[in-house]
Amino acid sequence: MTARLFRRLFASLLVVWAVASATFFLASLAPGDLATKLADPRIPPAARERLREHYGLHRPLGQRYLAWLSGVVTGNLGDSFLYRRPVTQVLAQALPNTALLASVGLGLELVLGVVLGLVQVRRPHGFWDRVLSAFSLIAYAVPTFLVAAGLLWLFAYRWPVFPASHMTGLTAPADFWTTLADRARHLALPAITVGVTGCGAVARYLRGALLDEQAQAYILGALARGASRRRVLLLHALPNAALPLLTVLGLSLPFLVSGTLVIEVLFSWPGMGQVFYSAVTARDIPLIQAATILVTAAVVAGNWLADAAYALADPRIRR
Amino acid sequence: MQARSKTALAILCCAVLLAACRRQNSLPPPQTAEPIHGGEVVVALAQDLSGFNEYTGFAESTELAILDLLFPSLLTEQPDYQLHPPSFAPALAKAWEFSEDNRTLTLYLRENARWSDGTPVTAEDVAFTFRVQKDRRLAWPGQEIKDFIEGVEVVSPTVVRFRFSRVYPYQLMDANDGHIVPAHVWGKVPLEDWPHTDFSKLLVTSGPFRVATHLPNQTLVLARDPNYWDQPKPYLDRVVFRVLPEVSQQLAQLFAGQVDLVLMVPPREAASVKQDPKLELVEVPSRVWGYVGWNNRRPPLNDRRVRRALSLAINRKALVETVYWGYARLANGPIPSTMWAYNKNLPVFPYDPQQAQALLDAAGVRDSDGDGVREWGGKPFTIELLYPGVNPLRAQAAVLIQADLAKVGIAVRPTPMEFTAMMARQEAGNFDAVLSAWEEATKVDLTSLWVTPSPTTGSNNFIGYSNPEVDHLAAQAREESDLAKVKLFLDRAQELIVEDQPVTFLYEGVQLVGLSRRIKGADINPSSVFFNLPEWYLAP
Amino acid sequence: MRRRLPRRLRLGIGVLLCGLAAVSVGPLLLPDPQAILDPRGAGLLPPLARVFVIKLADGTVLAGKALRRSGDKVLLWRAESWLELPSSQVRELGQRVFLAGSDALGRDVAARLASAGRISLAVGFLSLALAVLLGTLVGLVSGLGPSLLDRALMALVDATLALPLLFVLLAASAFLRPQTATVVLLLGLSSWMGVARLVRGQTLAVRERPWFLAAQGLGLPPWRLAAFHVLPHVATPLLQDATLRLGDLILLEASLSFLGFGVPPPVPSWGNMAAEGFEVWRLAWWLPVLPGLAVALVVLAFALVAEGLGELARGEA
Repeated sequence: MTARLFRRLFASLLVVWAVASATFFLASLAPGDLATKLADPRIPPAARERLREHYGLHRPLGQRYLAWLSGVVTGNLGDSFLYRRPVTQVLAQALPNTALLASVGLGLELVLGVVLGLVQVRRPHGFWDRVLSAFSLIAYAVPTFLVAAGLLWLFAYRWPVFPASHMTGLTAPADFWTTLADRARHLALPAITVGVTGCGAVARYLRGALLDEQAQAYILGALARGASRRRVLLLHALPNAALPLLTVLGLSLPFLVSGTLVIEVLFSWPGMGQVFYSAVTARDIPLIQAATILVTAAVVAGNWLADAAYALADPRIRR
Repeated sequence: MQARSKTALAILCCAVLLAACRRQNSLPPPQTAEPIHGGEVVVALAQDLSGFNEYTGFAESTELAILDLLFPSLLTEQPDYQLHPPSFAPALAKAWEFSEDNRTLTLYLRENARWSDGTPVTAEDVAFTFRVQKDRRLAWPGQEIKDFIEGVEVVSPTVVRFRFSRVYPYQLMDANDGHIVPAHVWGKVPLEDWPHTDFSKLLVTSGPFRVATHLPNQTLVLARDPNYWDQPKPYLDRVVFRVLPEVSQQLAQLFAGQVDLVLMVPPREAASVKQDPKLELVEVPSRVWGYVGWNNRRPPLNDRRVRRALSLAINRKALVETVYWGYARLANGPIPSTMWAYNKNLPVFPYDPQQAQALLDAAGVRDSDGDGVREWGGKPFTIELLYPGVNPLRAQAAVLIQADLAKVGIAVRPTPMEFTAMMARQEAGNFDAVLSAWEEATKVDLTSLWVTPSPTTGSNNFIGYSNPEVDHLAAQAREESDLAKVKLFLDRAQELIVEDQPVTFLYEGVQLVGLSRRIKGADINPSSVFFNLPEWYLAP
Repeated sequence: MRRRLPRRLRLGIGVLLCGLAAVSVGPLLLPDPQAILDPRGAGLLPPLARVFVIKLADGTVLAGKALRRSGDKVLLWRAESWLELPSSQVRELGQRVFLAGSDALGRDVAARLASAGRISLAVGFLSLALAVLLGTLVGLVSGLGPSLLDRALMALVDATLALPLLFVLLAASAFLRPQTATVVLLLGLSSWMGVARLVRGQTLAVRERPWFLAAQGLGLPPWRLAAFHVLPHVATPLLQDATLRLGDLILLEASLSFLGFGVPPPVPSWGNMAAEGFEVWRLAWWLPVLPGLAVALVVLAFALVAEGLGELARGEA
């Protein structure tokens, strides 16, 4: 098992390097040289040459690639054109915001999904089972931007319960609790969007897994011993069915991150997704490169960790 | 103020220049009743500031308007350029005088101007700023403006002297361009390090407001600066800039009362803003004008007859009415009709497809095989029309131009492009036509757009227009000191340009500003939306 | 006795057939999706709105919500006012109904939805084909080839599966010119991994079967083994996976186009229609909603078909 994990680790590093290099080479092909972006056309060509030198654009591609690569490894990823600050700084500010949204969203997704799954399993093929199955399917099929738009319209404009955008309110932060409440209010709609779009998959998986578990011998044994159905379901079947959920969650991590991109853009949530989107729109090359590397590394790492955690948690695999 | 090319990342909303009465559609003058102190105004911004240092950034007019609130200028340029070049009011400089020969300008600074850390603003800051502006390493786009200023001398802490190499009408304007920056803080950073210095960490400002909080890409909060020299202003406690990239978000929040000011209301939504009793719509005549830039170097577009035919074949009036909903006016020439230098006797190009067809035939662009599409050089004549894809108004205009030109047998291919890619093609001269706009500076100078580009100086004349007579007139206008003669040169140059039709002039824009009626005392004018922000106050 | 297909499958196939009909026949019956009609007069109309269309002698076309004749003049209610036109100038007079409303340029939304459907489905199918081809190839090689190659390929697949698709696609699209072909390529290249895993799994299962070992023993070359002895058994689960994957690809393309990096306007795609609609959602809520619903419906249909196929397979087993 450890051998497999190490292979996966090595492959993950390879993938991150490949993606990073791909962004570099794609960027060098991109129409609109850096100098065009930076320089106002009224600047005389001589000054623009100087700018090109400053950013090292006069060197051959191979040299630039190696220089860039060594920069990546040492942590110097250049300055963002858009923000005029080191790229690492911009990302360091954005990352915690996305982590917050993603984790709260993921939590909601889990809770909703588990609840839905449990309800469905109480009476398989019954009315609620069918209705909720349909709901899961619909939640999966509806594109994220539509769900976000719907929630936005309903709860931010039609009935102004939640704020429509951003992460913080306008008034100066007072004490800890007010700040917390303010943050929670702003987090609500984006997190609910994440939860709603993702809970379907969790519910469907759990339903299938629970049904399978319930057919197992040890469940019948517990029921025969007089345990109530509810106890059996919650204390015996659920933990075993939930274990592979880790893998499902690990696999859903990339979709979570991709999903939050659209949500962050729509809700002006200042996270990695929004920064990335602005960078792509403005062709802010250093920022695009750094963000891609960071997000890829984070997700690949998360996936690998989920895999490792599952391997640790499941005694059957540890052998 | 110098020319700035209008970048199209934000939605450009230019409406009509309701010309004659310049104050017709601006708000009534500030009321004489005692303004109430306090409160805050929330402004929607499409894009966050790219930095606090205008000399390392490439600031938009909106960004510059915000920097106006934070950094002092020597003088305040007035929005009165309709009949003569703009006049100036005292700002950091409380008085000024020219020497006998007009080659020296002496400015007397206020004694009570302070930076936000308490240090007085002195002539040393002005001299330092001048050195920054001239420095070749920083490549500030406005560098050429300072070409005729030989030096800036510190006579005393409150007296500074500018020396000019020649006498011309814009001396005061050129001396004034560019905000004054703090020498005692920013001077400590070597100039070669400026491009990657984060000036938000070295923020020392002097103005009616100072920066209270800056959450990048989210919010910029400006709080009242108690050190401001023009007490008791500003009346507002805070101005909050909320970054909302989507105009639909901005408007939704404006109607919901979460935002008080939207800088560019799309023409389509103007009616809704007017109908809402809590809001009002202010139409600000701007100096922006839109055009179709033909590649003057590429045959057959290098033939004047073809370009004139294209201008005649486009129903510009209908286009303006459709795309801008009446909030724009037909543009006739290179200088907007709201400006003093505008030649009132310019001929207006009508919509005349018949004449267009005749001209095209004469130029040799004919439909030889009767398929309804004209040919040139043996191939069907197709024009690839580039425009910034993110701008829906341009997209509409492109489609309408396509339809119009199809009627005279010319196929147009509207091609949305990403902005920097479009700029790259413009620079390389690799295009047929571009749909774009230009903001004319208050200093009327035809050089950057209409003079034959030379390899040594930068130029915005990417279409490759070249008329030696226009070159000569522009040079003469630049060097002449008598305003009446300057006007004559400019008038003649405008005539020639209109005859040549290097571009098809489309519309002159109006900025539609939507604001809450809670805001009182605002004079929203073409200089800047925040022109008199220190005098704004809220209704009780 | 004929066995009935599972309900889901029937439902899914039914929706798909309706959709296919709409998308293939629609553009023939509906007006030109790119034709603009007087944006001031016919812009942002709700579904089932009717307008009067006037064509003037000089070729200009005007549209308005109401028409009146008065003497030798024709009055058209357009842009919140009555427009007076002398009858002599009027060449043609007619009416138009917008089934699903009109967008900001007066283009027929129903026609654009159908046209966009063609594009979205085409992009989906083409990228699926790419993904399936590439994935099957890798899966077969991995399953039948030496175990070192298998381990290497699978480690790569597992790691690549972890890529956050939208980010990577966005970054790639940022550098390449947005074009439909690029979108197909990128989508295909980002989806082959799941197919590879599936095919490999099936191949490994088949490898132990007696009839396969027999065929192998006969000395048949690997490509024959793959084509005639492995592929037929992979077909069924592959079909189910492919159907579901198609839905995913359509969703991804919609999100990409919504963000502006997929199919470039003015070519309609459900995603970019939704994005354009968003700019005016306050005035015309149906503009972003209808394309979104179209996507949801199609993806739902594919998911139902996939599930139905699964039930069918389980029923048979």
